[in-house]
Amino acid sequence: MCPRCADENVSELTASPVPGVWKVLRCDLCLYTWRTSEPARRSTREAYPERFRMSRADIDNAPQVPAIPELRAEARGETP
Amino acid sequence: MPHDDLRSYLEALDGQGQLLHVEEQVAPEPDLGAAANAANRLGERAPALYFDNVTGFDEPRIALNTHGSWANHAVAFDLPPNTSTRGQVEEFIRRWENFPAPVERRENPPWAENSVSGGEANLFDVLPLFRLNDGDGGFYLDKAAVVSRDPDDPENFDKQNVGTYRMEVKGTDRLGLQPVPMHDIALHLNAAEQRGEDLPVAVALGNEPVISVVAGTPLGYEQSEYEMAGALRGTPEPIAKAPLTGLDVPWGSEVVLEGVIEGREREIEGPFGEFTGHYSGGRGMTVLRVDRISYRTSPVFESLYLGMPWTEVDYLIGPATCVPLYQQLRADFPEVQAVNAMYTHGLLAIVSTKKRYGGFARAVGLRTMTTPHGLGYCKMVIVVDEDVDPFDLPQVMWALSTKVNPASDLVNLPNMSVLELDPGSQPPGVTNKLVIDATTPVAPDDRGRYGQPVTDLPETGAWIDKLSSLIAERASENR
Repeated sequence: MCPRCADENVSELTASPVPGVWKVLRCDLCLYTWRTSEPARRSTREAYPERFRMSRADIDNAPQVPAIPELRAEARGETP
Repeated sequence: MPHDDLRSYLEALDGQGQLLHVEEQVAPEPDLGAAANAANRLGERAPALYFDNVTGFDEPRIALNTHGSWANHAVAFDLPPNTSTRGQVEEFIRRWENFPAPVERRENPPWAENSVSGGEANLFDVLPLFRLNDGDGGFYLDKAAVVSRDPDDPENFDKQNVGTYRMEVKGTDRLGLQPVPMHDIALHLNAAEQRGEDLPVAVALGNEPVISVVAGTPLGYEQSEYEMAGALRGTPEPIAKAPLTGLDVPWGSEVVLEGVIEGREREIEGPFGEFTGHYSGGRGMTVLRVDRISYRTSPVFESLYLGMPWTEVDYLIGPATCVPLYQQLRADFPEVQAVNAMYTHGLLAIVSTKKRYGGFARAVGLRTMTTPHGLGYCKMVIVVDEDVDPFDLPQVMWALSTKVNPASDLVNLPNMSVLELDPGSQPPGVTNKLVIDATTPVAPDDRGRYGQPVTDLPETGAWIDKLSSLIAERASENR
């Protein structure tokens, strides 16, 4: 489970070059990434601080930086 | 001798006693971030840190805090490590006059020794990545030089931009990059997205120390960072063409990533503990796809801790923020004596100036806010007299405490632009700005009673010399 948003869909990005020491996981929803050897405050849902948690609404309502501009007339296939 | 790559800079730091090699085994988290955080709390002679024994990694090489003290910043510029802060800024100004310095195109870059492309390109295979702060959304590349060109004028070398932008590692070949709207890469991306195209980029990691400073310096849009680095180094910046994109990257880089910022894509990114000493929040940010990785054999991974100031980033961009503001102000107002914009990348700046007439000093304050950098930063400008050193904060406090009458010395401007990361802005990106005129009024401004200042006695200069030599004599007798 993702420590930050509690989503169950998690992918393994990599494993330690020295076998069996840690893995790096990523939440497929909020894209939080963590190493399994990190302190509980970063790697478990129970200990993850309230102020850093993220919800589906936080993701959906996140401002875009920078805003996506309008396509130019040429890019829209129109004659400028 | 200027340094042509990170390795020779690390050797120079070591030679000056400014590199601490931590040999014991440490955990990637929280040790690496905490150690760099701690180095920032050690003061003006804090060393760079080098780690090569990190749990779970196979032969990692990690350099941290390489610019993170005034001593290190001096070594980066090939100056004696005890050069004063103001002395370093003055030398920066002096060398700036040599801009533009031609670049040197050099063959056989060491980063061409190894490469992986396409589906084989995996960031985790090459870089020992780790998290810095508790609330960071992931592992970050925060000290890379990101290179891009203007899609509407791709052959123009001067419009090619080299800038430092934070990047979150979101996958084996996927990064989230933050282009602050006031920065040049945002102009390049905007043009690409208007054209419906991706923006090709190269990301150079582990560089010679001057290009790392210049990449964080707010230059004009058509000023080449490489030509500025040559001016500041006193010898041309060696560069080489990156094979996939044709972009110019530092010759001496440890690792070069190439790929594109995917046009018209945004994806959740962050938060990240930023230079403001606050987290950025989560935002929909651009996506950078990595298509090729070139790297030196046994690459050194350089990273930077940032958090509540002062941290390495404040040294890295401190003088680099002062100097362009000074140059741009002097172009219009030669009365300007010095600029200290080292506080949170110039969110607060202190300017000392002579006065032409009453009201002039606050005009200088307003002009500071309308420089290219000032538009996104410079939320507060304190203007002081020409005999107040803006780098001497007790003097600045004296000016504030005696020269300011809040009834008429505060110029409060509503709804001005600032970068969205300023945690006080509301909505993000919009803020009031404040000029504090802490100069002595001059005619026709006759406010206050400043006619009888106490100045140092005419004989004081000679006594400084005399006392200094007496102290030196006593010290040598005691030895």
